[in-house]
Amino acid sequence: MSGTLTILQAGHSVVTDLGRFKGPRYGLPVNGALDQFSARAANILAGNKDNDPLLEVTALDFRMRADTDLLIAVTGAPVTLTVGGRECPQWEPVSVLAGETVALRSMNTGLRAYIAVHGALDAPMLLGSCAPDTVVGFGLKLTDGTTLGARETVPPIRQPYFDLPLFRLGLSRPGVSAHPVIDVTDGPDIAEFGDTAELLFKTSYTVSGRSNHIGLRLGGALPERQSRAEVLSRGVPVGAIEVPSREELLVLHRGRGVTAGYPVLGVVTSRSLDVLAQARPGNIIRFRNTTVAEATGRHRAAMRELEALRTSVNTVFGLLGVGAPASWRDLMPASGS
Amino acid sequence: MPDTPTPIEVHESGDAAVRVVATSLDRERNWAAVHALAGWFEMADVDGVHCAVPTYDSVLVEFDPYVTSARQIRAFVLLGMRQLDFAGAPARMPRRFDVPVVYGGEYGPDLQKVADHEGLPVSEIIALHTAKSYIIRCLGAPAGSPMMDGPEFPLPVPRLKDPRLSVPAGAVSVAGRQAVIAPAVAPGGWCVIGQTPLTVLNPDKQPLVPYLPGDLLRFHEITAADFERYAGLELEASK
Repeated sequence: MSGTLTILQAGHSVVTDLGRFKGPRYGLPVNGALDQFSARAANILAGNKDNDPLLEVTALDFRMRADTDLLIAVTGAPVTLTVGGRECPQWEPVSVLAGETVALRSMNTGLRAYIAVHGALDAPMLLGSCAPDTVVGFGLKLTDGTTLGARETVPPIRQPYFDLPLFRLGLSRPGVSAHPVIDVTDGPDIAEFGDTAELLFKTSYTVSGRSNHIGLRLGGALPERQSRAEVLSRGVPVGAIEVPSREELLVLHRGRGVTAGYPVLGVVTSRSLDVLAQARPGNIIRFRNTTVAEATGRHRAAMRELEALRTSVNTVFGLLGVGAPASWRDLMPASGS
Repeated sequence: MPDTPTPIEVHESGDAAVRVVATSLDRERNWAAVHALAGWFEMADVDGVHCAVPTYDSVLVEFDPYVTSARQIRAFVLLGMRQLDFAGAPARMPRRFDVPVVYGGEYGPDLQKVADHEGLPVSEIIALHTAKSYIIRCLGAPAGSPMMDGPEFPLPVPRLKDPRLSVPAGAVSVAGRQAVIAPAVAPGGWCVIGQTPLTVLNPDKQPLVPYLPGDLLRFHEITAADFERYAGLELEASK
Protein backbone atom coordinates (compact mmCIF):
# COMPACT_ATOMS: atom_id res chain seq x y z
CA MET A 1 0.00 0.00 0.00
CA SER A 2 1.25 3.48 -0.69
CA GLY A 3 0.32 6.98 0.35
CA THR A 4 0.93 10.65 -0.20
CA LEU A 5 3.09 13.10 1.72
CA THR A 6 2.14 16.75 1.48
CA ILE A 7 4.82 19.34 2.12
CA LEU A 8 3.18 22.05 4.26
CA GLN A 9 6.31 24.18 4.78
CA ALA A 10 9.16 23.41 2.43
CA GLY A 11 11.72 25.81 3.87
CA HIS A 12 14.83 24.82 1.99
CA SER A 13 14.44 21.09 1.31
CA VAL A 14 15.09 18.61 -1.48
CA VAL A 15 14.60 14.92 -2.23
CA THR A 16 18.03 13.39 -2.66
CA ASP A 17 20.11 10.24 -2.18
CA LEU A 18 23.82 9.47 -1.78
CA GLY A 19 24.64 10.96 -5.17
CA ARG A 20 25.15 10.52 -8.91
CA PHE A 21 28.34 8.45 -8.75
CA LYS A 22 28.50 7.93 -12.53
CA GLY A 23 27.94 11.65 -13.16
CA PRO A 24 31.52 12.95 -13.11
CA ARG A 25 32.35 10.81 -16.17
CA TYR A 26 29.80 12.96 -18.05
CA GLY A 27 30.76 16.28 -16.51
CA LEU A 28 28.04 16.22 -13.84
CA PRO A 29 28.92 16.70 -10.17
CA VAL A 30 28.16 13.78 -7.85
CA ASN A 31 25.82 15.90 -5.65
CA GLY A 32 23.60 14.00 -3.19
CA ALA A 33 23.31 14.27 0.62
CA LEU A 34 26.10 16.50 1.88
CA ASP A 35 26.21 14.70 5.26
CA GLN A 36 26.49 11.15 3.96
CA PHE A 37 26.72 9.49 7.41
CA SER A 38 23.49 11.11 8.61
CA ALA A 39 21.69 10.29 5.35
CA ARG A 40 22.76 6.64 5.48
CA ALA A 41 21.82 6.42 9.17
CA ALA A 42 18.34 7.88 8.51
CA ASN A 43 17.66 5.34 5.78
CA ILE A 44 18.98 2.44 7.85
CA LEU A 45 16.86 3.52 10.85
CA ALA A 46 13.81 3.63 8.56
CA GLY A 47 14.57 0.12 7.28
CA ASN A 48 15.62 1.35 3.83
CA LYS A 49 18.65 0.84 1.64
CA ASP A 50 21.42 3.38 2.26
CA ASN A 51 20.93 4.97 -1.15
CA ASP A 52 17.11 5.30 -1.12
CA PRO A 53 15.59 8.74 -1.85
CA LEU A 54 15.10 10.79 1.33
CA LEU A 55 14.56 14.42 2.36
CA GLU A 56 17.42 16.82 3.05
CA VAL A 57 16.27 19.85 5.06
CA THR A 58 18.70 22.78 5.17
CA ALA A 59 18.63 25.41 7.94
CA LEU A 60 14.94 26.41 7.84
CA ASP A 61 11.82 25.03 9.57
CA PHE A 62 10.02 22.23 7.74
CA ARG A 63 6.59 20.62 8.04
CA MET A 64 4.85 17.77 6.20
CA ARG A 65 1.72 15.62 6.62
CA ALA A 66 0.95 12.13 5.38
CA ASP A 67 -2.42 10.62 4.49
CA THR A 68 -1.22 7.23 5.66
CA ASP A 69 0.60 5.68 8.64
CA LEU A 70 4.37 5.93 8.24
CA LEU A 71 7.60 4.98 9.89
CA ILE A 72 10.25 7.70 9.64
CA ALA A 73 13.69 8.53 11.05
CA VAL A 74 15.25 11.97 11.39
CA THR A 75 19.02 12.45 11.67
CA GLY A 76 21.65 15.13 11.02
CA ALA A 77 21.62 18.54 12.69
CA PRO A 78 19.83 18.73 16.08
CA VAL A 79 16.26 20.02 15.66
CA THR A 80 13.05 20.07 17.64
CA LEU A 81 11.16 17.18 16.04
CA THR A 82 7.43 16.93 16.69
CA VAL A 83 4.92 14.43 15.33
CA GLY A 84 1.28 15.38 15.88
CA GLY A 85 2.53 17.91 18.45
CA ARG A 86 4.45 15.28 20.48
CA GLU A 87 8.17 15.80 20.78
CA CYS A 88 10.05 12.81 19.36
CA PRO A 89 13.70 11.73 19.39
CA GLN A 90 16.06 12.00 16.44
CA TRP A 91 18.29 9.08 15.39
CA GLU A 92 15.47 6.59 16.11
CA PRO A 93 12.57 5.17 14.11
CA VAL A 94 9.39 7.15 14.81
CA SER A 95 5.80 6.15 14.02
CA VAL A 96 3.60 8.76 12.31
CA LEU A 97 -0.19 8.31 12.13
CA ALA A 98 -2.21 9.30 9.07
CA GLY A 99 -3.09 12.99 9.30
CA GLU A 100 -0.37 13.89 11.81
CA THR A 101 2.04 16.71 11.02
CA VAL A 102 5.79 16.09 11.17
CA ALA A 103 7.64 19.30 12.03
CA LEU A 104 11.35 20.11 12.23
CA ARG A 105 12.07 23.38 13.99
CA SER A 106 14.85 25.35 15.64
CA MET A 107 17.90 24.13 13.75
CA ASN A 108 20.36 26.30 15.65
CA THR A 109 23.52 24.22 15.50
CA GLY A 110 24.34 22.27 12.37
CA LEU A 111 22.84 23.02 8.98
CA ARG A 112 21.26 19.89 7.48
CA ALA A 113 18.77 17.32 8.77
CA TYR A 114 17.60 14.16 6.99
CA ILE A 115 14.16 12.55 7.00
CA ALA A 116 13.93 8.98 5.73
CA VAL A 117 10.51 7.38 5.22
CA HIS A 118 10.20 3.58 5.41
CA GLY A 119 9.73 2.26 1.90
CA ALA A 120 11.41 5.40 0.54
CA LEU A 121 10.01 8.24 -1.58
CA ASP A 122 9.21 8.32 -5.27
CA ALA A 123 11.54 10.59 -7.25
CA PRO A 124 12.67 10.95 -10.88
CA MET A 125 16.10 9.52 -11.66
CA LEU A 126 19.00 10.72 -13.82
CA LEU A 127 22.05 8.47 -14.33
CA GLY A 128 20.87 6.29 -11.46
CA SER A 129 20.28 9.06 -8.90
CA CYS A 130 17.46 11.37 -7.83
CA ALA A 131 19.92 13.97 -6.45
CA PRO A 132 19.04 17.46 -7.74
CA ASP A 133 21.48 19.07 -10.17
CA THR A 134 20.96 22.82 -10.30
CA VAL A 135 23.15 23.26 -13.40
CA VAL A 136 21.22 20.92 -15.69
CA GLY A 137 17.96 21.80 -13.93
CA PHE A 138 17.20 18.29 -12.71
CA GLY A 139 15.45 17.19 -9.53
CA LEU A 140 12.38 17.62 -7.37
CA LYS A 141 12.06 21.20 -6.18
CA LEU A 142 9.93 21.18 -3.04
CA THR A 143 7.56 24.06 -2.38
CA ASP A 144 4.63 24.45 -0.03
CA GLY A 145 1.93 22.10 -1.25
CA THR A 146 4.23 19.69 -3.16
CA THR A 147 3.02 16.10 -2.80
CA LEU A 148 5.35 13.11 -2.71
CA GLY A 149 4.57 9.43 -3.13
CA ALA A 150 5.50 7.28 -0.12
CA ARG A 151 5.82 3.68 -1.22
CA GLU A 152 4.81 1.85 1.98
CA THR A 153 2.39 2.19 4.86
CA VAL A 154 3.54 1.05 8.32
CA PRO A 155 0.93 0.57 11.05
CA PRO A 156 1.87 2.36 14.29
CA ILE A 157 4.42 0.59 16.47
CA ARG A 158 3.22 0.74 20.08
CA GLN A 159 5.44 0.86 23.13
CA PRO A 160 4.03 -1.69 25.57
CA TYR A 161 5.84 -0.31 28.65
CA PHE A 162 5.87 3.20 30.00
CA ASP A 163 9.05 5.23 30.28
CA LEU A 164 11.12 3.07 28.00
CA PRO A 165 12.37 4.30 24.66
CA LEU A 166 10.77 2.55 21.75
CA PHE A 167 14.14 1.54 20.38
CA ARG A 168 17.61 1.43 21.85
CA LEU A 169 19.83 0.93 18.85
CA GLY A 170 23.09 2.24 20.26
CA LEU A 171 24.35 4.43 17.44
CA SER A 172 26.78 7.11 18.59
CA ARG A 173 25.48 10.36 17.15
CA PRO A 174 28.08 12.59 15.59
CA GLY A 175 28.52 15.76 17.64
CA VAL A 176 27.90 19.12 15.97
CA SER A 177 30.26 21.92 17.00
CA ALA A 178 30.56 25.59 16.13
CA HIS A 179 34.35 25.03 16.18
CA PRO A 180 34.80 21.85 14.15
CA VAL A 181 38.20 20.29 13.46
CA ILE A 182 38.49 19.11 9.86
CA ASP A 183 40.91 16.38 8.77
CA VAL A 184 42.84 17.06 5.57
CA THR A 185 45.27 14.93 3.58
CA ASP A 186 48.02 16.55 1.50
CA GLY A 187 46.75 17.50 -1.96
CA PRO A 188 48.54 16.40 -5.15
CA ASP A 189 49.73 19.98 -5.75
CA ILE A 190 50.77 20.92 -2.21
CA ALA A 191 54.37 21.51 -3.33
CA GLU A 192 53.19 24.46 -5.45
CA PHE A 193 52.38 26.37 -2.25
CA GLY A 194 55.87 25.99 -0.75
CA ASP A 195 56.17 26.86 2.94
CA THR A 196 52.87 28.77 2.90
CA ALA A 197 50.97 25.43 2.86
CA GLU A 198 51.66 25.14 6.61
CA LEU A 199 49.39 28.13 7.25
CA LEU A 200 46.44 25.83 6.67
CA PHE A 201 47.15 23.96 9.90
CA LYS A 202 48.41 26.88 11.99
CA THR A 203 45.50 29.30 11.77
CA SER A 204 41.72 29.12 11.91
CA TYR A 205 39.16 29.95 9.20
CA THR A 206 35.69 31.47 9.30
CA VAL A 207 32.86 29.98 7.21
CA SER A 208 31.49 32.63 4.82
CA GLY A 209 27.78 33.15 4.13
CA ARG A 210 28.49 32.57 0.44
CA SER A 211 29.02 28.86 1.09
CA ASN A 212 26.70 26.28 -0.47
CA HIS A 213 26.53 22.70 -1.77
CA ILE A 214 29.16 23.53 -4.41
CA GLY A 215 31.73 24.61 -1.88
CA LEU A 216 32.50 26.33 1.39
CA ARG A 217 34.27 29.67 1.25
CA LEU A 218 36.53 30.30 4.21
CA GLY A 219 38.14 33.52 5.38
CA GLY A 220 41.56 33.51 7.06
CA ALA A 221 45.30 33.44 6.36
CA LEU A 222 45.69 32.15 2.81
CA PRO A 223 48.47 29.88 1.57
CA GLU A 224 49.90 31.30 -1.65
CA ARG A 225 50.78 29.52 -4.85
CA GLN A 226 54.47 30.08 -5.64
CA SER A 227 54.26 29.48 -9.41
CA ARG A 228 52.19 31.32 -12.01
CA ALA A 229 52.27 28.64 -14.71
CA GLU A 230 48.97 27.88 -16.46
CA VAL A 231 47.34 24.74 -14.99
CA LEU A 232 45.60 22.33 -17.36
CA SER A 233 42.01 21.55 -16.39
CA ARG A 234 41.91 18.41 -14.29
CA GLY A 235 39.32 16.34 -12.49
CA VAL A 236 39.19 17.57 -8.89
CA PRO A 237 37.95 15.42 -6.01
CA VAL A 238 35.13 16.40 -3.66
CA GLY A 239 36.90 17.91 -0.64
CA ALA A 240 39.60 19.63 -2.71
CA ILE A 241 40.99 22.78 -1.03
CA GLU A 242 41.88 25.52 -3.53
CA VAL A 243 42.96 29.15 -3.29
CA PRO A 244 41.21 30.68 -6.31
CA SER A 245 41.30 34.29 -5.11
CA ARG A 246 43.15 36.60 -2.74
CA GLU A 247 40.16 36.74 -0.42
CA GLU A 248 39.04 33.22 0.38
CA LEU A 249 39.91 29.58 0.64
CA LEU A 250 37.54 27.29 -1.27
CA VAL A 251 36.68 23.78 -0.07
CA LEU A 252 34.77 21.95 -2.79
CA HIS A 253 31.77 19.86 -1.72
CA ARG A 254 29.51 17.44 -3.60
CA GLY A 255 28.05 20.03 -6.02
CA ARG A 256 31.50 20.95 -7.33
CA GLY A 257 32.25 21.30 -11.03
CA VAL A 258 34.11 18.14 -11.96
CA THR A 259 37.10 19.79 -13.64
CA ALA A 260 39.05 22.90 -12.70
CA GLY A 261 42.34 24.59 -13.39
CA TYR A 262 43.41 25.43 -9.82
CA PRO A 263 46.08 23.50 -7.93
CA VAL A 264 44.76 21.26 -5.14
CA LEU A 265 46.42 22.16 -1.84
CA GLY A 266 44.71 19.55 0.34
CA VAL A 267 41.72 17.21 0.34
CA VAL A 268 39.20 17.02 3.19
CA THR A 269 38.58 13.42 4.30
CA SER A 270 35.27 11.67 3.66
CA ARG A 271 34.41 11.75 7.39
CA SER A 272 35.21 15.44 7.71
CA LEU A 273 33.13 16.33 4.62
CA ASP A 274 30.13 15.21 6.70
CA VAL A 275 31.26 17.58 9.45
CA LEU A 276 31.65 20.44 6.93
CA ALA A 277 28.11 19.74 5.69
CA GLN A 278 26.93 20.87 9.14
CA ALA A 279 29.14 24.00 9.33
CA ARG A 280 27.16 27.25 9.52
CA PRO A 281 28.26 30.67 8.32
CA GLY A 282 30.33 32.23 11.11
CA ASN A 283 31.59 28.88 12.47
CA ILE A 284 35.35 28.75 13.12
CA ILE A 285 37.17 25.84 11.50
CA ARG A 286 40.58 24.41 12.23
CA PHE A 287 42.28 21.98 9.86
CA ARG A 288 44.29 18.97 11.04
CA ASN A 289 46.77 17.17 8.82
CA THR A 290 46.23 13.42 8.43
CA THR A 291 47.18 10.58 6.09
CA VAL A 292 45.09 8.74 3.52
CA ALA A 293 45.60 5.49 5.49
CA GLU A 294 44.26 7.06 8.68
CA ALA A 295 41.35 8.72 6.87
CA THR A 296 40.41 5.41 5.26
CA GLY A 297 40.50 3.73 8.66
CA ARG A 298 38.17 6.34 10.16
CA HIS A 299 35.75 6.10 7.25
CA ARG A 300 35.64 2.31 7.52
CA ALA A 301 35.07 2.45 11.28
CA ALA A 302 32.06 4.72 10.70
CA MET A 303 30.72 2.43 7.99
CA ARG A 304 31.10 -0.61 10.28
CA GLU A 305 29.10 1.25 12.91
CA LEU A 306 26.35 1.72 10.33
CA GLU A 307 26.54 -1.98 9.41
CA ALA A 308 26.04 -2.88 13.08
CA LEU A 309 23.08 -0.50 13.20
CA ARG A 310 21.59 -2.16 10.14
CA THR A 311 21.85 -5.56 11.85
CA SER A 312 20.05 -4.25 14.96
CA VAL A 313 17.35 -2.54 12.92
CA ASN A 314 16.77 -5.63 10.78
CA THR A 315 16.41 -7.74 13.93
CA VAL A 316 13.99 -5.33 15.60
CA PHE A 317 11.93 -4.73 12.46
CA GLY A 318 11.88 -8.49 11.80
CA LEU A 319 10.45 -9.11 15.27
CA LEU A 320 7.91 -6.31 14.84
CA GLY A 321 6.96 -7.50 11.37
CA VAL A 322 7.90 -4.19 9.71
CA GLY A 323 8.56 -4.84 6.05
CA ALA A 324 9.90 -8.23 5.05
CA PRO A 325 11.88 -10.08 7.71
CA ALA A 326 15.62 -9.70 7.25
CA SER A 327 17.18 -12.47 5.28
CA TRP A 328 20.69 -13.15 4.13
CA ARG A 329 19.76 -11.90 0.67
CA ASP A 330 19.11 -8.41 2.01
CA LEU A 331 22.54 -8.01 3.51
CA MET A 332 25.25 -5.97 1.86
CA PRO A 333 27.83 -7.97 -0.05
CA ALA A 334 30.84 -8.81 2.10
CA SER A 335 33.24 -6.16 0.91
CA GLY A 336 35.99 -4.08 2.40
CA SER A 337 37.24 -5.02 5.82
CA MET B 1 52.25 2.00 -31.26
CA PRO B 2 55.09 3.31 -29.07
CA ASP B 3 57.76 0.83 -28.01
CA THR B 4 57.77 1.82 -24.36
CA PRO B 5 54.78 2.21 -22.03
CA THR B 6 53.51 5.77 -21.50
CA PRO B 7 55.10 6.90 -18.23
CA ILE B 8 52.56 7.75 -15.53
CA GLU B 9 52.46 9.05 -11.98
CA VAL B 10 49.75 8.19 -9.46
CA HIS B 11 49.06 10.93 -6.89
CA GLU B 12 46.97 10.57 -3.74
CA SER B 13 43.95 12.90 -3.89
CA GLY B 14 42.21 12.30 -0.58
CA ASP B 15 40.73 9.01 0.69
CA ALA B 16 38.27 8.56 -2.20
CA ALA B 17 40.22 9.48 -5.37
CA VAL B 18 43.59 9.25 -7.06
CA ARG B 19 44.97 11.44 -9.84
CA VAL B 20 46.87 9.63 -12.57
CA VAL B 21 49.10 11.88 -14.70
CA ALA B 22 50.72 10.82 -17.99
CA THR B 23 54.20 12.37 -18.11
CA SER B 24 55.59 11.67 -21.58
CA LEU B 25 56.85 14.65 -23.58
CA ASP B 26 54.16 14.03 -26.22
CA ARG B 27 50.89 15.82 -25.39
CA GLU B 28 48.83 13.78 -27.87
CA ARG B 29 50.16 10.56 -26.42
CA ASN B 30 49.39 11.67 -22.86
CA TRP B 31 45.85 12.61 -23.85
CA ALA B 32 45.30 9.29 -25.63
CA ALA B 33 46.73 7.36 -22.67
CA VAL B 34 44.52 8.92 -19.98
CA HIS B 35 41.38 8.54 -22.11
CA ALA B 36 42.25 4.91 -22.87
CA LEU B 37 42.77 4.31 -19.15
CA ALA B 38 39.39 5.89 -18.30
CA GLY B 39 37.76 3.65 -20.92
CA TRP B 40 39.57 0.65 -19.44
CA PHE B 41 38.18 1.44 -15.97
CA GLU B 42 34.67 1.75 -17.37
CA MET B 43 35.02 -1.60 -19.16
CA ALA B 44 36.68 -3.35 -16.19
CA ASP B 45 33.87 -2.24 -13.85
CA VAL B 46 36.19 -2.64 -10.85
CA ASP B 47 34.28 -3.19 -7.61
CA GLY B 48 34.16 0.06 -5.63
CA VAL B 49 35.25 2.32 -8.51
CA HIS B 50 32.63 5.03 -9.13
CA CYS B 51 34.10 6.53 -12.29
CA ALA B 52 37.22 7.79 -14.05
CA VAL B 53 37.30 11.39 -15.28
CA PRO B 54 39.90 12.02 -18.01
CA THR B 55 40.94 15.52 -19.11
CA TYR B 56 44.18 16.49 -20.95
CA ASP B 57 47.09 14.72 -19.30
CA SER B 58 45.35 13.29 -16.25
CA VAL B 59 42.50 11.09 -15.10
CA LEU B 60 40.79 11.29 -11.71
CA VAL B 61 39.66 7.87 -10.47
CA GLU B 62 36.93 8.14 -7.83
CA PHE B 63 36.22 5.20 -5.56
CA ASP B 64 34.37 4.07 -2.43
CA PRO B 65 37.00 3.86 0.34
CA TYR B 66 34.88 1.28 2.20
CA VAL B 67 35.19 -1.19 -0.65
CA THR B 68 38.65 -0.44 -2.02
CA SER B 69 41.59 1.84 -1.33
CA ALA B 70 44.03 4.21 -3.00
CA ARG B 71 46.67 1.42 -2.89
CA GLN B 72 44.39 -1.05 -4.65
CA ILE B 73 43.39 1.52 -7.26
CA ARG B 74 47.05 2.23 -7.91
CA ALA B 75 47.57 -1.48 -8.61
CA PHE B 76 44.59 -1.44 -10.99
CA VAL B 77 45.99 1.61 -12.78
CA LEU B 78 49.32 -0.14 -13.39
CA LEU B 79 47.49 -3.27 -14.55
CA GLY B 80 45.32 -1.24 -16.90
CA MET B 81 48.31 0.59 -18.39
CA ARG B 82 50.15 -2.69 -19.01
CA GLN B 83 47.10 -4.25 -20.62
CA LEU B 84 46.58 -1.21 -22.85
CA ASP B 85 50.24 -1.23 -23.88
CA PHE B 86 49.88 -4.88 -24.74
CA ALA B 87 46.54 -4.87 -26.51
CA GLY B 88 46.04 -1.20 -27.42
CA ALA B 89 42.89 0.79 -26.78
CA PRO B 90 39.82 -0.10 -28.83
CA ALA B 91 39.66 2.35 -31.74
CA ARG B 92 36.55 4.45 -32.33
CA MET B 93 35.82 6.48 -35.44
CA PRO B 94 35.41 10.12 -34.41
CA ARG B 95 32.04 11.67 -35.25
CA ARG B 96 31.76 15.20 -36.65
CA PHE B 97 29.63 17.99 -35.24
CA ASP B 98 28.86 21.15 -37.15
CA VAL B 99 27.96 24.12 -34.94
CA PRO B 100 26.34 27.30 -36.31
CA VAL B 101 27.36 30.43 -34.36
CA VAL B 102 26.21 34.04 -34.33
CA TYR B 103 29.33 36.07 -33.50
CA GLY B 104 29.51 39.38 -31.64
CA GLY B 105 26.79 41.77 -30.52
CA GLU B 106 24.51 40.52 -27.77
CA TYR B 107 25.46 36.96 -28.76
CA GLY B 108 29.19 37.47 -28.24
CA PRO B 109 29.71 40.47 -25.94
CA ASP B 110 33.50 39.90 -25.61
CA LEU B 111 34.30 39.53 -29.34
CA GLN B 112 35.61 43.08 -29.70
CA LYS B 113 37.67 42.78 -26.50
CA VAL B 114 39.30 39.58 -27.80
CA ALA B 115 40.00 41.25 -31.17
CA ASP B 116 41.61 44.25 -29.43
CA HIS B 117 43.72 41.95 -27.22
CA GLU B 118 44.92 39.95 -30.23
CA GLY B 119 45.48 43.08 -32.34
CA LEU B 120 43.32 41.66 -35.13
CA PRO B 121 40.09 42.79 -36.79
CA VAL B 122 36.90 41.05 -35.60
CA SER B 123 36.55 39.38 -38.99
CA GLU B 124 39.95 37.73 -38.56
CA ILE B 125 39.01 36.41 -35.07
CA ILE B 126 35.91 34.81 -36.59
CA ALA B 127 37.93 33.45 -39.52
CA LEU B 128 40.46 31.84 -37.15
CA HIS B 129 37.71 30.44 -34.93
CA THR B 130 35.92 28.80 -37.87
CA ALA B 131 39.13 27.77 -39.69
CA LYS B 132 39.64 24.28 -38.29
CA SER B 133 38.03 21.22 -36.80
CA TYR B 134 38.63 20.90 -33.07
CA ILE B 135 39.18 17.62 -31.25
CA ILE B 136 36.95 17.48 -28.17
CA ARG B 137 39.60 16.82 -25.54
CA CYS B 138 37.36 16.17 -22.54
CA LEU B 139 34.01 16.91 -20.93
CA GLY B 140 34.33 19.74 -18.44
CA ALA B 141 32.28 21.80 -16.05
CA PRO B 142 29.53 22.78 -16.32
CA ALA B 143 27.40 19.87 -17.46
CA GLY B 144 29.73 18.14 -19.91
CA SER B 145 31.09 21.17 -21.79
CA PRO B 146 33.18 20.14 -24.83
CA MET B 147 36.71 21.32 -23.96
CA MET B 148 38.82 21.98 -27.07
CA ASP B 149 42.29 23.28 -27.92
CA GLY B 150 41.57 26.82 -29.04
CA PRO B 151 41.89 28.66 -32.35
CA GLU B 152 45.30 29.73 -33.68
CA PHE B 153 45.19 33.21 -32.09
CA PRO B 154 48.57 34.96 -31.72
CA LEU B 155 48.15 35.39 -27.93
CA PRO B 156 46.45 33.43 -25.12
CA VAL B 157 43.09 35.03 -24.21
CA PRO B 158 42.93 36.32 -20.61
CA ARG B 159 39.98 35.38 -18.43
CA LEU B 160 37.49 38.08 -17.43
CA LYS B 161 38.49 40.09 -14.36
CA ASP B 162 34.91 39.91 -13.13
CA PRO B 163 33.40 36.54 -14.06
CA ARG B 164 29.75 36.71 -15.18
CA LEU B 165 27.21 35.30 -12.74
CA SER B 166 25.22 33.84 -15.62
CA VAL B 167 26.27 32.85 -19.13
CA PRO B 168 23.50 31.52 -21.40
CA ALA B 169 23.35 27.97 -22.76
CA GLY B 170 24.97 27.82 -26.17
CA ALA B 171 27.57 30.50 -25.37
CA VAL B 172 30.75 29.98 -27.42
CA SER B 173 33.81 31.05 -25.43
CA VAL B 174 37.59 31.16 -25.49
CA ALA B 175 40.20 31.47 -22.73
CA GLY B 176 43.92 30.82 -22.62
CA ARG B 177 44.51 28.47 -25.56
CA GLN B 178 41.13 26.75 -25.13
CA ALA B 179 37.68 26.91 -26.70
CA VAL B 180 34.33 25.67 -25.36
CA ILE B 181 30.54 25.72 -25.74
CA ALA B 182 28.35 26.08 -22.62
CA PRO B 183 25.68 23.33 -22.62
CA ALA B 184 23.77 24.95 -19.75
CA VAL B 185 23.34 28.31 -18.04
CA ALA B 186 26.18 28.79 -15.55
CA PRO B 187 28.57 31.40 -14.17
CA GLY B 188 31.63 31.89 -16.37
CA GLY B 189 34.93 33.74 -16.54
CA TRP B 190 35.77 33.01 -20.19
CA CYS B 191 35.39 35.49 -23.05
CA VAL B 192 32.07 34.91 -24.84
CA ILE B 193 32.55 35.58 -28.58
CA GLY B 194 29.33 34.06 -29.92
CA GLN B 195 26.34 31.83 -29.31
CA THR B 196 24.91 28.77 -31.05
CA PRO B 197 21.13 28.47 -31.31
CA LEU B 198 21.39 24.66 -31.07
CA THR B 199 20.40 22.84 -27.89
CA VAL B 200 23.50 21.06 -26.62
CA LEU B 201 22.22 19.45 -23.43
CA ASN B 202 19.15 17.25 -23.22
CA PRO B 203 18.42 16.03 -19.66
CA ASP B 204 15.97 13.46 -21.07
CA LYS B 205 18.72 11.70 -23.00
CA GLN B 206 21.56 9.59 -21.67
CA PRO B 207 24.25 10.67 -22.02
CA LEU B 208 23.04 14.26 -21.73
CA VAL B 209 25.41 15.66 -24.34
CA PRO B 210 25.76 14.09 -27.83
CA TYR B 211 29.58 14.10 -28.17
CA LEU B 212 32.42 12.21 -26.54
CA PRO B 213 36.09 13.06 -26.12
CA GLY B 214 37.83 12.35 -29.42
CA ASP B 215 34.92 13.59 -31.57
CA LEU B 216 35.50 16.51 -33.97
CA LEU B 217 33.67 19.84 -33.86
CA ARG B 218 33.68 22.74 -36.30
CA PHE B 219 32.06 26.18 -36.05
CA HIS B 220 30.51 28.14 -38.93
CA GLU B 221 29.16 31.66 -38.90
CA ILE B 222 25.46 32.42 -39.30
CA THR B 223 23.64 35.75 -39.15
CA ALA B 224 21.53 36.90 -36.22
CA ALA B 225 18.51 36.56 -38.53
CA ASP B 226 19.27 32.85 -38.88
CA PHE B 227 19.39 32.31 -35.10
CA GLU B 228 15.63 31.77 -34.84
CA ARG B 229 15.68 29.34 -37.75
CA TYR B 230 17.93 26.96 -35.78
CA ALA B 231 16.36 27.57 -32.37
CA GLY B 232 15.02 24.40 -30.76
CA LEU B 233 17.13 22.08 -32.93
CA GLU B 234 19.50 19.75 -31.14
CA LEU B 235 23.21 19.40 -31.77
CA GLU B 236 23.69 16.09 -33.59
CA ALA B 237 26.57 14.33 -35.30
CA SER B 238 26.77 14.99 -39.05
CA LYS B 239 25.56 12.14 -41.22
